[in-house]
Amino acid sequence: MTAFLDSDLPAEAITRARDGSAEAREAIYRAFERPVRTLARRLVAGSAQAEDLAHDVFVEILTSLGQFDGRGSFAGWVRAITVRKCLMHLRSPWHRALRWARAAEDGGGIGELPCAAGSGGDALDLERALARLGDTARAVVWLHDVEGYTHAEIGALFGGTPSFSKSQLARGHARLRELLESEGVKASCMPVSTNC
Amino acid sequence: MHAGLDELLNLRDGEPVSDTVRAHVGHCARCTAAIAHTRVLRERLRALPAVPAAATDGWLAVEEQLAATTARRRRAAAFGSLAAAASVAALALFAALRWHEAPVPPSSASSEAPAPVAVDELRSRSQALEAVLAALPARPAVARAGTAVPIESLEAQVQWLDHQILLADAGEPSPATVRLWNDRVEVMSSLVQLRYVEAQTLFP
Repeated sequence: MTAFLDSDLPAEAITRARDGSAEAREAIYRAFERPVRTLARRLVAGSAQAEDLAHDVFVEILTSLGQFDGRGSFAGWVRAITVRKCLMHLRSPWHRALRWARAAEDGGGIGELPCAAGSGGDALDLERALARLGDTARAVVWLHDVEGYTHAEIGALFGGTPSFSKSQLARGHARLRELLESEGVKASCMPVSTNC
Repeated sequence: MHAGLDELLNLRDGEPVSDTVRAHVGHCARCTAAIAHTRVLRERLRALPAVPAAATDGWLAVEEQLAATTARRRRAAAFGSLAAAASVAALALFAALRWHEAPVPPSSASSEAPAPVAVDELRSRSQALEAVLAALPARPAVARAGTAVPIESLEAQVQWLDHQILLADAGEPSPATVRLWNDRVEVMSSLVQLRYVEAQTLFP
């Protein structure tokens, strides 16, 4: 399940950070660094872009702490900001143009395959397969199956309907199965063409 | 006819499905296995490890940007107060100028030999406008042509008027001197207004 739920941040840290405590701000960063980076890495296939996005997420979180009304969990608020930032990036003309340029350059889409040190073979295969999904399908699969978002919530995030989310989930699952069963995903950590 | 993957996922997630699909999956080994496969895949996704620790400490970069953002916000807030104070001062000054410019009954004496008070009055109004102008932020290195050209033209007019006033100030105040001071006040008023508009576009 999502690592966001495991973060252990003392409740008073948010209040102190809101009051300007640099120490409390750093505590928030330390508590959510891995979950935010991981979520960004799962939603956005490019590792450098994911790291940049994680940085932007923390700047936004720490400069808008006053907007956290305390009604939901702080971890949920951080996660919502991370998801929004990543989806905005995926929708950005810059990202689309980059994908198009890479596809044109390589005769197909490029999935940047993860080289996670310490991951088991199966996990690495799955990470690679996930990275090779299309942006939308990957985000929907991750948000639904791992983060626990409902189809209605995902549909709203994409400006679509729950049916849109359901069809993307099915598409993502079909493609993941195909990739995991194929030999291609077991290649080394080199960029591999993809058309999804 | 086997169920589609979307229907199987709906079944897995407790979403609504048709009775026909539900009945079929209930006795179809292949569809049951497919649902089990999606469950396994979901568990594998959930079990994926977090990304490894970053090579460099990202906190330093975040802290640096936070400091820059805070400084920028403080500057904007400080300018907001300054702009508000300047606009209040400008409004008060314009109101005072309008009040002072109320028509007064003409007298033959004043048209021939202007009272020194009139020149002093215009001089102090001109100085007050100079103070408002000085309170406004410095002009940008790159300005909009729409405001930059008239501002430069007005500044040139002020310089020309100052030169003329310097020449005329040698003796007693004459009607020409009063006119020059009057012109200077008017040009300075326009200059203050334009500079204020320019500052507003820079720091909205």
